[in-house]
Amino acid sequence: MSAAAPALVRLPVWRARFVLAGFFAAFAVIAGRSLYLQAMHTDFLQEKGEARYSRVLTVPATRGRILDRNGEALAVSTPVQSVWAIPGDVSASPAQLRRLASLLGADAGELRRKLGDASRDFVYLKRQIAPETAERVAQLGLEGIYQHPEYRRYYPGGEVTAHVVGFTGVDEAGQEGMELAFEASLGGVPGSRRVIKDRRGRVVEDIESIRAAQDGRDLTLSIDGKIQSLAYAALKEAVLAHRATAGALVALDVQTGEVLALANVPSFNPNNRARLSGAQIRNRALTDVFEPGSTLKPFTVALALESDRLSPATRVQIGNGGLRVAQHVIHDPHPESVLTVAQVIQKSSNVGAARIALALGREDMWRLFQRAGFGAPPQLGFPGEAAGRLRPAATWRPIEQATMAYGHGISVSLMQLARAYTMFARDGELVPVTLQKSPLPAPGTRVLSAQTAREMRAMLELAVQPGGTAPRARIMGWRVAGKTGTAHKQENGGYAADRYIASFVGLAPVSAPRIVVAVMIDEPAGGQYYGGVVAAPVFAQVARGALRALGVPYDAPLEPLPLPGAHEEAREST
Amino acid sequence: MGATYVFAKDAAEPEYDRSLAWAGLLLMAIGVVMVYSASIATAEASRYTGANAAYFLLRHALFLGGALATALVVFLLPVRFWQKAAPLGFLACLALLVLVLVPGIGREVNGARRWLDLGAFTLQPSELVKLAVVLYAADYTVRKHAVLKSFRRGLLPMLAVMMFVSWLLLREPDFGALVVIAVTTFGILFLGGMNGRHFTALVAMLGIGFALLVLTSEYRMQRIFGFMDPWTDPFGRGYQLSHALIAFGRGEFLGVGLGASVEKLFYLPEAHTDFLLAVIAEELGFIGVAAVIALFAWVVLRAFAIGRQAALRDRHFAALAAQGLGIWLGFQALINMGVNMGLLPTKGLTLPLMSFGGTGLIANSVALALLLRIDWENRQLARGLHA
Repeated sequence: MSAAAPALVRLPVWRARFVLAGFFAAFAVIAGRSLYLQAMHTDFLQEKGEARYSRVLTVPATRGRILDRNGEALAVSTPVQSVWAIPGDVSASPAQLRRLASLLGADAGELRRKLGDASRDFVYLKRQIAPETAERVAQLGLEGIYQHPEYRRYYPGGEVTAHVVGFTGVDEAGQEGMELAFEASLGGVPGSRRVIKDRRGRVVEDIESIRAAQDGRDLTLSIDGKIQSLAYAALKEAVLAHRATAGALVALDVQTGEVLALANVPSFNPNNRARLSGAQIRNRALTDVFEPGSTLKPFTVALALESDRLSPATRVQIGNGGLRVAQHVIHDPHPESVLTVAQVIQKSSNVGAARIALALGREDMWRLFQRAGFGAPPQLGFPGEAAGRLRPAATWRPIEQATMAYGHGISVSLMQLARAYTMFARDGELVPVTLQKSPLPAPGTRVLSAQTAREMRAMLELAVQPGGTAPRARIMGWRVAGKTGTAHKQENGGYAADRYIASFVGLAPVSAPRIVVAVMIDEPAGGQYYGGVVAAPVFAQVARGALRALGVPYDAPLEPLPLPGAHEEAREST
Repeated sequence: MGATYVFAKDAAEPEYDRSLAWAGLLLMAIGVVMVYSASIATAEASRYTGANAAYFLLRHALFLGGALATALVVFLLPVRFWQKAAPLGFLACLALLVLVLVPGIGREVNGARRWLDLGAFTLQPSELVKLAVVLYAADYTVRKHAVLKSFRRGLLPMLAVMMFVSWLLLREPDFGALVVIAVTTFGILFLGGMNGRHFTALVAMLGIGFALLVLTSEYRMQRIFGFMDPWTDPFGRGYQLSHALIAFGRGEFLGVGLGASVEKLFYLPEAHTDFLLAVIAEELGFIGVAAVIALFAWVVLRAFAIGRQAALRDRHFAALAAQGLGIWLGFQALINMGVNMGLLPTKGLTLPLMSFGGTGLIANSVALALLLRIDWENRQLARGLHA
């Protein structure tokens, strides 16, 4: 190089070219890399990306409705909003918080406590509020407070249908009743979809639906809303009037086996279950068993008729001092010393029933009870159906065989009892019962001959005539038949002297039976405790309404039925 | 020969380099749009920004306005002025670098002390040093031209200065700026006629030193080579890079569309600064990335052509300054893009003229203005006028 002055400097041109070429080579490499990443390596990279931010969400299925047989809604899912917050993001003034608390119906202090925990990312402030309230909450425009839609189960029938329908939990899963029994079909199958979420969990893009949600199927019950309302009202009135602790009622369509009404008192409001006791939730008609008392007498008598050793006119010795079996004595309050078999039913004679039973084989009695459906759950598919207690015949002592004839030493549920009476209504066939609508006549199981069943109906009709135990069960326009029961309640292994279960099971119309209604009143404390006085009027009310609702033709003249005089009403043995 | 570098002359004979100005403005324009797109979600979700979705857009636009105003002033000043001011300016910038390290003055973010708090906004001296060192090195090369081939008188003083600057930058630390500054400085020396053997030795020494440094430490090895396979630890060390690569893969050829990036939704950190290119790649696809690469390549090409024109007129300072500015902008863009694509280890370097960041944007605009001024003076001389 020359030692020339700076003005004569020559910059080496090749170096600039060399550097520039280097730059262009580098730019080419970068462009090539970009092309590789964006045109060739995309599958791998996109798969990695999906693993990071594509998520599969479940799409909830809409829960099916529960309807009565006429299509009236008994349980529907209504859209509601749940309010939640990210505590760290909430910056509301105390006045705003108070306003929010009052809208949510929550305690302001509690709300502050929930929002005070800034370490949490998600806290529910209130679940399932009405859409209108939710709208007003949204209008407050508070930061960090969000809502998401949910469904809430609403029960238009309220306390009237509470026990049959049952209810769901806050997550819409069935917890009781038919809501629980038919969870699988009501709940449907949730679907799923693939979405892209941002890193904070918000869905920003829907990619694909993997499986569509299968909405739950509607469930149509056999319950008739009108009959059910009437049954509940009549039952509640009777329980109140007689200061009873509880009551239950079952009404069956004897042709189809459908349960037309199933009522329990006390009940509850399924739409507001804040304070709920076990006593309110119990579906006594299905889950509770009791010793039925005299309502069981017709089965013993029917068995005797089947054996051809007796006819309704056969005379039975009652005696005055009662019947001694081993060291026990069975009493009757009736003054007669001799009754016909028909009168044993009409006047409900314990001694008569016991005498007839003792003439029968205990195995035969056991078989009849068993075929009548006692000792096994009635297979309605309802959660917690009781089987009752029917001890094996081999263990029966003679006194037990005798008392079982009038319904002691055996326990049944009201549903079992009502179904057992269908054998009298259907000319000897027992019909399977169902809570789902199935309007076609159901084939039954023959238990008695048609002849016996008709004879029994005639006897049971006598029981509701003047001179029987339940003239108050009669209704104008239709012939009814039925049997009262008044049983001491069991207590500490014995029987309570002054606590009873009053019951009545009847069928109508006698000429062509269509319904069986069974009523049970637990511990009437209003002075009256006979089934004929306490339970039979409920039967009459419900049967009248049901026959009318079903459009059953009259089979009796439309004449007013005067209340029976004191001497016309037989007192029942207890 | 030199004609290959000369931009084809317009019929109208423009007084300035229109294509360079347009390339710069286009990069800035794409930058504004993409900074907004990349930052909109994070700005909206952050309490620091007051949940204002346009927080970064507004600031970026403000910086851009300031940068263009500064550029205009710079364009009006003669190159002579810059040559005279180069040593003093460099000293002033060094003073700022020292100031950053003084506790209580320098602001620390994520363990790096790189910023000076000026109230309304913060200043990043290392960005200014990049600019100052170009002018200083060009001036140095011209001043020391007679002795440039000597190691003791030509190279050693600059080596000493660089050692000092490196020490300051490593104290912050800002390794990315150090690399850019070192490469620019020695690039200028190399172009200015530095001893070829010295240069080769220097490059070899740096290479060997670097290799030793890395090979003797498992930790540094992982730090440096972790970028090569981000999928071995995609949620730890490879997190940022893996997300940048996913953005490229999602963008494919035409992109997912402006505003439709998923990566910017809190997955990809630094989306509006260091990893802006990844968002461009996702939203605008290969086409967008290729356009950015082409624009930068054009800027570099023009810088070298302008430098060549100046050199032909014996304007050595201007020639070296122009090419130095080209090396700076091009090299920083290459590093940033290489990092975004997983070709280079992650360093805190922004995409010049595009990424969010006030000081960087102003320094880059000044560089562009200087290039345009040098070219303007070249053209004045070509017409027989005084520069």
